[in-house]
Amino acid sequence: MALIGLTTGAVYALVALGYTLVYGILQLINFAHGDVFALSGLFATTMIGGAVFGLTDTSTTLGVVGGLTATFVIAAVFGAAVNSSIEFVAYRRLRSAPRLAVLITAVGMSFIVQNISLAIYDVNARSIPPLISGHTVFNISGVVYTWDAFFVVLVTAPVLVLLTWLVKSTRQGKAMRATSQDPEAAAIMGINVNRTISFTFALAGALAGIGATLYLVEFNIRYDTGFTLGLIAFTAAVLGGIGNLTGAVLGAILIGMIQAFNEGLSWNAPGTAWTKSIVFGILIAILVFRPEGLLGERTPEGA
Amino acid sequence: MRGYRQRAVRASRLSRVAEAWGTLPERTRSLTPVVIVVALAVTYPFYVDSVPTNLPVIKTVPPLHDAVTILVFVMMGVGLNIVVGYAGLLDLGYVAFYAIGAYTAGWLASGQFEQVKVHFGAVGIPSSATGIHISIWLVLLIAAVVTAVGGILIGLPTLRLRGDYLAIVTLGFGEIIPQFVRNGDELHGFDLTHGTFGISPIDPPGFGHTLNSAIGLPVRYDESFPPTPDRLFFWTILALILLTLFCSMRLRDSRLGRAWIAIREDETAAGAMGIPLMRTKTWAYAGGAFFGGIAGAYIATFNSGAFPTQFDFNISVFLLCMVILGGMGSLWGVVVAGTILAWLNFDGLGNIGSWINTTLLPSSHQIDVPKYSFGIYGIIIVLMMLFRPTGLIPERRRKREIEEATHGGPLDQPLYEMRGADEPGAGERGEPGKVPRG
Amino acid sequence: MSEPAPTPAKNDDLLVAMSVRKEFGGLLAVNDLDFAIPQRAIVSLIGPNGAGKTTFFNMLTGLYKPTAGAVIFDGHDVTGKPPHTITKAGIGRTFQNIRLFPQMTALENVLVGMHSRLKGGILGSIFGTPRVRREEREASEKARELLSFAGLRRVDHELAESLSYGDQRRLEVARALATEPKLLLLDEPTAGMNPQETVAFLDFVSKLREQRTIAILLIEHDMKVVMGASERVTVLDYGEKIAEGTPHEIQHDERVIEAYLGKAATG
Repeated sequence: MALIGLTTGAVYALVALGYTLVYGILQLINFAHGDVFALSGLFATTMIGGAVFGLTDTSTTLGVVGGLTATFVIAAVFGAAVNSSIEFVAYRRLRSAPRLAVLITAVGMSFIVQNISLAIYDVNARSIPPLISGHTVFNISGVVYTWDAFFVVLVTAPVLVLLTWLVKSTRQGKAMRATSQDPEAAAIMGINVNRTISFTFALAGALAGIGATLYLVEFNIRYDTGFTLGLIAFTAAVLGGIGNLTGAVLGAILIGMIQAFNEGLSWNAPGTAWTKSIVFGILIAILVFRPEGLLGERTPEGA
Repeated sequence: MRGYRQRAVRASRLSRVAEAWGTLPERTRSLTPVVIVVALAVTYPFYVDSVPTNLPVIKTVPPLHDAVTILVFVMMGVGLNIVVGYAGLLDLGYVAFYAIGAYTAGWLASGQFEQVKVHFGAVGIPSSATGIHISIWLVLLIAAVVTAVGGILIGLPTLRLRGDYLAIVTLGFGEIIPQFVRNGDELHGFDLTHGTFGISPIDPPGFGHTLNSAIGLPVRYDESFPPTPDRLFFWTILALILLTLFCSMRLRDSRLGRAWIAIREDETAAGAMGIPLMRTKTWAYAGGAFFGGIAGAYIATFNSGAFPTQFDFNISVFLLCMVILGGMGSLWGVVVAGTILAWLNFDGLGNIGSWINTTLLPSSHQIDVPKYSFGIYGIIIVLMMLFRPTGLIPERRRKREIEEATHGGPLDQPLYEMRGADEPGAGERGEPGKVPRG
Repeated sequence: MSEPAPTPAKNDDLLVAMSVRKEFGGLLAVNDLDFAIPQRAIVSLIGPNGAGKTTFFNMLTGLYKPTAGAVIFDGHDVTGKPPHTITKAGIGRTFQNIRLFPQMTALENVLVGMHSRLKGGILGSIFGTPRVRREEREASEKARELLSFAGLRRVDHELAESLSYGDQRRLEVARALATEPKLLLLDEPTAGMNPQETVAFLDFVSKLREQRTIAILLIEHDMKVVMGASERVTVLDYGEKIAEGTPHEIQHDERVIEAYLGKAATG
């Protein structure tokens, strides 16, 4: 059960990181993020199935590996493009506007992106053929862990390592951290703040693209999948301490597990129908009692 | 030549009218449009059926039944305006208040609780009916109070949070409450909300036999044949809206309203000026919830049911869109924008869509306009925020010029003079925001 | 909080701050500061930028909670109380970077300042009871008086954001006076003013004290400004009090010259 939680948690982590990255740099809850996730996922279904790669469950292993790798890259680029366009079109003009205005704009953007998905892919849920086998990786005393679930974790781990390296060690990552600390000072130090913010949005979008493709391995996506999933991922980001990358991953895995236990256990768990309420209950409890999250630091009160 | 002269005559007549208008007292001038709008609204049931149905673009005005729903949503928009427009608190879960109101009506005016038999002033319900049946008028008031208390309960733990966290927490409540309603049919074996079926039927409003024989008020709204029930429902919601607007206006001009706007403008400064932030914000929540509760209970009795599918997150955003389009804090803006948006939502987009499809687009490329309604609202929100953040009809800070004292009194001798600085002369002022150097 | 019971304030001091301390994370912004303001006095707190003046100020007004120490105002312990309680107790303030309510008129700004002195409730306001209406009328009257006092009578229906810089500064003072303070805190009130405006403003401040019988605490980083206006000057540097005394004493204090003027001369 914990392992299933880990799998869902891995997808949440990728999305939660997107929220945390953007929040870290702009102090903005990018409501549209979940919808970027859904749109990228839908786009990935086009890539994998049908005309482009035409992958099916009978494709050769090499074909599946090649096709999926290409899909990951394309979905990431697509997500990055969509997310940074949103920033460019809407948020950039509001740099000096009150935060309320930017937040409201984000809600509006969320609906716009959702309706773009709706216009292109209609209301039906899309899925991909079962490319990764559902065979058992191992079976410990009745707990079954299948390849497709394992695959999700297998992809997420290196992505997270790559991200950490990107933020911690590269020039661009340093610029990001500097901008999130103090945009004005960063600008004085010669950092191109707008480009850094665009880069952050692109990075967040790319993570959403990868996450969405992984999500497809196990579930299907519809134009409005992103709304609930985005909120859950946001909860994870807040749980871990928003703005904190490790925290987002930890929070996501925790939420994934809570969800798995809630939906999978027969004893005393309220069940699927209550998942949303439980997740939001957690969100509200954290925000009220420990708004800095599990790993976040208490920021000094700003004047 | 003749055309020119006619136009000149007409123009001079117009200018004479304008001149006469200008001589009217300020109060009359500002009240006239209100009176005209109210008169048009009150008589709406009498002319709605004679409006042609082939008008360009919009086709026709909304039928009476839809007009009632539209006005309920306008009322909620006005309620949300207290929270978002006055106090500047972004509430993305206003739908929760709507749900609480509707279900309060469901509990207190239906056969939902078949274990008990409580009757109090309900009309047209056989005395043998099980359940709680309280007079709808009382239920509206109870729903308002219950919802306001709900608002306070939601507000107390959350209003401490910064604006964006508050938004997400209210959104959370807006999601939890409908889920609770959907799943609340088996709480330890007790059926509280009747799950996905909702609570139905809910008792209709009415005045009962005593008032009917005394002053001719209708016994119960749903008894007679159309269009009468819709007319009664329409006039009632119109009265409720006017009441909401009146309260909203009085509150805005009160000590509390000033405190709300001060918090919206600068929370830190508001606190430093002696405004208790938590308490004042909680009152904004309670005030907004109060009217949301009435609206929810009213639509429940109008539809004779409360259903979990009514309380989508989209509704919260839709209401927010009304406030933003109208202009945050601007009462008339919200009423106008709310009417337009609610109409678009129920009839307008369908009408406009079919007009576009029949007149502009070839039959091979038809657009299902209402399908994209929320995309359209999203575009409205973003465009407004980018290009006209104050809304269509910006809140105009009133000028209370009426009681201006005469100049030259002892009060007008300033103690504090900026010698040679930014006071070039009496009545003149420096450029806004600039510091003239002497 | 488990602080030792604060000693009662001396009779002639309106405000007493005892060993007030503020840390942000590991950063020590104000270090065990003792400070007192006598009744009806004009005192100044000066120091270079970043010396902890505004932090201290914000602790007095309740915006920050002190890490340790106590603030006694008018015989009451106000340590760590929320801003509105402190305002009600009688401390009014202005802000270093003007913080008016931009979308409200000058008159409304002043009326907001009166909030804690008015009583009008929700129901009374909705029904427009005679009591509430009379209160509102009297409040407007008083607000106009204050605006006249600050030389702003002619702009009382202008939005605060459309006022000139000097008017905005004065409106902030009028708004602070509307809270009926016993102590008025002015945070760098002459920032952005030219020498003439500064002189006029300080003139205004001393008239204020005479007419309104209140004490005033001025915060400045420009030492010259306060020398003429205040009776007593306290100098802060790196969160510590390095000198206290009459303007004359301060001007000749070696540590001040070294830490403050010396720095100013080289910087």
